[in-house]
Amino acid sequence: MRLFSTQVLAIVTLACLPFSLSQTTAAADAGPPNAVQMTIDFLTRDDASLRAIGLERVRYGLKGQESTQQLAGLLPRLAPARQLELTAALSDRGDRAALPALLALLQSSSDAAVRATAVQAVGVLGGASEVPVLTKSLAAADPEKSAARRGLAVVRGAEATALITAAAKQGDAEMRSTLIDILADRRAVTALPDMVTAAVADDATVRTAAMRAIARFGGPDQVVGMVQGVLKAAAGGERDDAERALVTVCTQNPRHEQSAAIFIEQFKSADDQTREMLLPALGRVGGAGAIAIVDGLIADTNAAKRKLGLTALTKWPDATVSDRLLDLLGKAQDPDERELLLGALIRIAPLPDNKLNNQQKLELLQKTMTLCTGDEDRRRVLERANAIRLVETLRFVVPYLDDPNLAEPACLSVVELAHHRNLRDSNKEEFTKALDKVLETTKNEELVDRATRYKQGQTWERKKPAGS
Amino acid sequence: MAYDSASLDKPLETLKAFDWGGDVAAFEPIDAAVIAVHADPAARADLEKRLAALLTAGTSRAAKEYVCRKLSLIGTAASVPTLAALLPDTDNSHMARFALERINAAEAGAALRQALGTVQGDLKIGMISSLAGRGDTTCVPMLASLLAGDTRTAIAAADALGRIHTPEAVQALTAAGGVSDQAVAAAIVDARLACAESLLKQGKRSEATAIYKSLADAAAAGTTPAAKSTRLAAARGILACLDTTSPS
Repeated sequence: MRLFSTQVLAIVTLACLPFSLSQTTAAADAGPPNAVQMTIDFLTRDDASLRAIGLERVRYGLKGQESTQQLAGLLPRLAPARQLELTAALSDRGDRAALPALLALLQSSSDAAVRATAVQAVGVLGGASEVPVLTKSLAAADPEKSAARRGLAVVRGAEATALITAAAKQGDAEMRSTLIDILADRRAVTALPDMVTAAVADDATVRTAAMRAIARFGGPDQVVGMVQGVLKAAAGGERDDAERALVTVCTQNPRHEQSAAIFIEQFKSADDQTREMLLPALGRVGGAGAIAIVDGLIADTNAAKRKLGLTALTKWPDATVSDRLLDLLGKAQDPDERELLLGALIRIAPLPDNKLNNQQKLELLQKTMTLCTGDEDRRRVLERANAIRLVETLRFVVPYLDDPNLAEPACLSVVELAHHRNLRDSNKEEFTKALDKVLETTKNEELVDRATRYKQGQTWERKKPAGS
Repeated sequence: MAYDSASLDKPLETLKAFDWGGDVAAFEPIDAAVIAVHADPAARADLEKRLAALLTAGTSRAAKEYVCRKLSLIGTAASVPTLAALLPDTDNSHMARFALERINAAEAGAALRQALGTVQGDLKIGMISSLAGRGDTTCVPMLASLLAGDTRTAIAAADALGRIHTPEAVQALTAAGGVSDQAVAAAIVDARLACAESLLKQGKRSEATAIYKSLADAAAAGTTPAAKSTRLAAARGILACLDTTSPS
């Protein structure tokens, strides 16, 4: 294949293959060679090192659109594996002049990997005019579909965002949902009004995607719409996801205090049936405005309203309601009510961001333990205790190692506390004794292994959950 | 803070017997003085003289190290003779070089060149390294002659010539390309590549290309991994030289 002039070929030969000094002289005398053609020659070689040199030049050198077009023009002549390399390099090069060749490659290639790489490159280099092509690829199978998604997330320009937003309003639910997720990846603030509309769409997939997207960067302006989204969501998983999205906006996103205030106003102005649906979310949002509402419900003589209030209280995001919960638990006669309140205390006490320090968390958990009437509740307390990394927690747990009904959860908590080297090493004697007791007591092989390792100052790697 | 020579009497006296691990807080006035004399030539000369006086016999090795570090910051030609006297001393040669490498005076380079001709072994390699660190172009003929010496010295000389990368250094390396010692030959190839890259960065594409071509030519028939690496490095360099759209 004669790709270029004789003098360039001489230089390439000079550089890569065995050659003689006379060739060196001849090449040097033959006139100015062409760097683009030399790069192209390298890119066609079987030697991976030479190709790497060529690809480095594609990525970082040979400035100018003309060079880009010449380099991209090589694509149709390469084998698929080489097309992949060059496409990725052209993407990194960042010159839009490569787009026509990349789009042509996308049209002509049937190789799945090549198509995926080309789609992603089109996304990186392209703008609004490439949105239709990328959107079309979203309907393809993976890896092209995933590449199209990444491409649409990075394709440049406000006009591109507008086109994606428009596309997200039509088509099948799965496509709409994917496009909404892409808009969220783009942090497309301009699309928020359309997301709010989609939050009450007829299809649950679209609604869920819209609420999830708003949760990522929504604020006070979206709260009213999100409340409608919660109300529209089907009871169960979708409602729970929608509540979490609303709670995120009201507790974590910028201007969350303002969002929470708007939500509480919405709650106050709602009818009873709507209030009932919004109460779990109100509990999760927490705060002074919400507690006044919840207190009113708990004090209500209507049993159903009281139960709604209690349920909301048990979903509180922090320990600011712990005194209320302890008080209510102390007075509760109904077993279901006791179960609800106790569960809430056990959940809230060790929460990492519950506004208590570790000592206070432990004290709350110890108080909760005194109110437990059955071993099942005590087991739950002991299992939650290890989240509070204090030597005092170890001292709280150790006596339960002697109780046959509670020894296993106590063993687990001792071992979990011992997992933290700083805590273990600074209280070595106490931990050694406790771990010895665990080894005498537990029947769980993993706990035996862990306790043995920690006693010897070794580490233990926690198994990753399946699928992660 | 103004420089006060008298305030240094006690710290300098303490410094004489200082040993590693001792309390360095006592020397804070000296550290402060080094900063204070920055724009005051008379004060700087006074401090330099007082510090250099501590390099004589009777002070600890740790004290000499401390002084050399300070002289590397404020030293001038006036300190060179005292520092040069330490160059043949195994214990203190390294720190004397540390100072001389950084003192901006021709006398410092001359002292290192002088020592290069007299010391042996590791000390000689140290002189080579410091001369390269100074970018001392005058020492190129001396370094060129060392390319034919023992392996370690020749490798150090090749590396130094690559760092100095003047046309004379390039020429010396080219002339020594045919050495039989493989380790030295590899060091010379590396040094020539370093010269070529440096020339390319300076925009001297034809000079850089000449080196790359010469290296590729020499490695053309080779079948060893080293020969292949050289060909690839040369190919990469030639391509970079041809690419006039990019800085390097």
